[in-house]
Amino acid sequence: MTALIASVKEVPAVDYYTSGRRTCAGCGPAITYRLLSKAAGPNTVFLGPTSCMYVANGHQYLTSPYAVPWYHTQLGGGGAAGIGTAAAFRALMAKRKRKNEDVNVIVYGGDGGFADIGFAGLSMGMSYDYKRLLFVLNDNESYANTGIQASSTTPWGATTTFTPSGKVRRIGNVRLKKNVALTVAAHPGVKYVATATLHPPLDFINKARKALDSAGPSFIEVLTPCPKGWFFDPKDTVGFAKLALETRAWVSWEYADGEFSLTYKPRKFTPVKKYLRPQGRFSHLIDKQVDEIQRMIDDEWKYWEEMDRQKRIILPWTSAPNRAIVALA
Amino acid sequence: MSTQATVPKTVILRKNYIWTGTRSVAEAVKIADVDVIAAYPIRPYTGIMNDLAKMVAEGEFHSEIVVADSEHSQFEIAKHASAVGARTFVGSSGVGLAYATEAIAVTALGQLPVVAVAGCRALDDPGNFGMEWNDVFLFRDFGWLVSWAKDAQEALDMTLVAYRVAEDRRVLLPHFVAMDGAAITHVSTPVETPTKEGATEFLPPYKPPFPLDPAYGAVTKAQHIAPSLIGPEQRKLVDFSMKNSSVVIREAWEEYFKHVGRQYSPFLQSTFMEDADIALVSMGAYTKDAIYAAKKLRDRGIKAGVIRLRYWRPFPADELRNALQDAKALGVLDFSYSMGSPDFTGAFFTDVRSALYQVGSKPLMIDFVLVGGREPKVRHFEKAIRLVQEAAQRGKVTKIVHWLTLRGEDV
Repeated sequence: MTALIASVKEVPAVDYYTSGRRTCAGCGPAITYRLLSKAAGPNTVFLGPTSCMYVANGHQYLTSPYAVPWYHTQLGGGGAAGIGTAAAFRALMAKRKRKNEDVNVIVYGGDGGFADIGFAGLSMGMSYDYKRLLFVLNDNESYANTGIQASSTTPWGATTTFTPSGKVRRIGNVRLKKNVALTVAAHPGVKYVATATLHPPLDFINKARKALDSAGPSFIEVLTPCPKGWFFDPKDTVGFAKLALETRAWVSWEYADGEFSLTYKPRKFTPVKKYLRPQGRFSHLIDKQVDEIQRMIDDEWKYWEEMDRQKRIILPWTSAPNRAIVALA
Repeated sequence: MSTQATVPKTVILRKNYIWTGTRSVAEAVKIADVDVIAAYPIRPYTGIMNDLAKMVAEGEFHSEIVVADSEHSQFEIAKHASAVGARTFVGSSGVGLAYATEAIAVTALGQLPVVAVAGCRALDDPGNFGMEWNDVFLFRDFGWLVSWAKDAQEALDMTLVAYRVAEDRRVLLPHFVAMDGAAITHVSTPVETPTKEGATEFLPPYKPPFPLDPAYGAVTKAQHIAPSLIGPEQRKLVDFSMKNSSVVIREAWEEYFKHVGRQYSPFLQSTFMEDADIALVSMGAYTKDAIYAAKKLRDRGIKAGVIRLRYWRPFPADELRNALQDAKALGVLDFSYSMGSPDFTGAFFTDVRSALYQVGSKPLMIDFVLVGGREPKVRHFEKAIRLVQEAAQRGKVTKIVHWLTLRGEDV
């Protein structure tokens, strides 16, 4: 077991995700990668389905930011890569071909890799009972690597290069954001599922440690603000993580051994327009459409509070955006 | 962890059995003491996995069998288990292989010695479960070695040899063993297994050069690299390994004879070629029928020989050129097709013709296309021999492609 960390001062100084990368200024996924590597420590294998965190992390001059073993896997291969790696450790240890010890197998994939093309593979991964197998979905809400295309976790109303706002189609992305973590929680063998964002850092680090210690396959979906995809100033990355929590645009929770709890409950609700308006991807929305997003968040929050009260998962439901308001320009 | 309990030791007794091709391959996987197996069902290869699952359940040997959610996952699982240092086994057929194509491509570029068995099957539609080679031929250009078995015994032998060749430091490439669907996968024939001592001496445990395991330090594998920096060099590495493999294959079959006692000519099986004027060239199970037809027609004065390629990648071009330098005409028995290719032939024909382009006196060539999964009969092979004989007598080929099993007009 690895101990939970009580204060930022106790966070290990050593990084296993370090220099030798060329991520964007203010990159959210890079911050969470670093926190994750600190949480996991040296006896770890990282696997990377194709994403920003593949392309930006080792490039051009044969550099590598990884101080632990790392291997790429295909965009839809995250689940299989985790299982294959874990299966090898299990077999080699069982057959005395390798020293028997705990080795963390962590797959760090994007929303494209886990919510779309690798969704089935992730589901398979959640059925494999290797005891230190963690899947982390770094959710920056688009295919950022290929130039910001919509994925199934892109929020309603956001523009992407596949869902631009135009004279005829105003809204941009009209699909509602898929809740991947809830679908993962529906897998019976899973011991630990959580959502997080890169703030507060200890929250994510400790969730990663709980996940790795859960003695089964585990999953964390971490919201990672992306300056390029969301169109904001790179200095504001952490600020947007905070705002996402305070506006309840992102709900932070965990589901450990069948018990649900909210891990961040804002004392007072900040209006979602404070989160949406500074982001370029929502700049085309008129006030009534922003109000409609607020209405959906408020509707859904009732379910999350109820879950927190009952300590169990209830499927949240909210009515789709009002068509008349969607049609407004 | 429950798998820590009792790990059975692999027990191998040299014995004779009557086994299907799939059962024989399962035995080879057991003998090779494979660590990780990734399974997903599709006919006709599935029987291998059924048998392996039963063997592991009964404690005949220890292996981690992963029940995958798709062929893509299957091949990714094998790839990643191999990267850690496990000996791996995987396989598929037909459209299943097509589904796994992406993972199959990167396994070769990652230079991981995964061994896969393909039970050759037509690419659908409409759910065609007949035998064609086009599934395996999808991977012609990827850097996988491909050997082609003629029967259940050879499928077992080739699987063991595949591990040895693939894992050799001079090669380190993945390896397909192809066996024709139904004709080998589902037909029971006598099979002899090696002794444990012989098999262990022939096939030592796999030692990867750079395991993806923290115990061996930090390895970054397949990071994203600008093509201008190492693109061509990386392709050249695979090319170089493939070129090296010919020597390793020769050595491996010599060693196999030494330790296991069964002898094969490594690249070609030539039958009746000593005095042959014409030849049939093929791979796989139906070569036996072709030999039967050739023997029959020899009694009627047609001097026909049969050449069977045992490897398709690396393609034994030199061996084929030597074997065919005196042939006036030859027919290719072709279970592949390449729609719209030069002269509308099969892909196998294209390779054979390409290899023979270097021969001084080029033989006349006819492609006998046997696609769509309808099983050919001996009379089809007799017809092929007669057509080649006719071409040799006339000194020219009037029709380059014949669809032998087609009903109706061959337009």
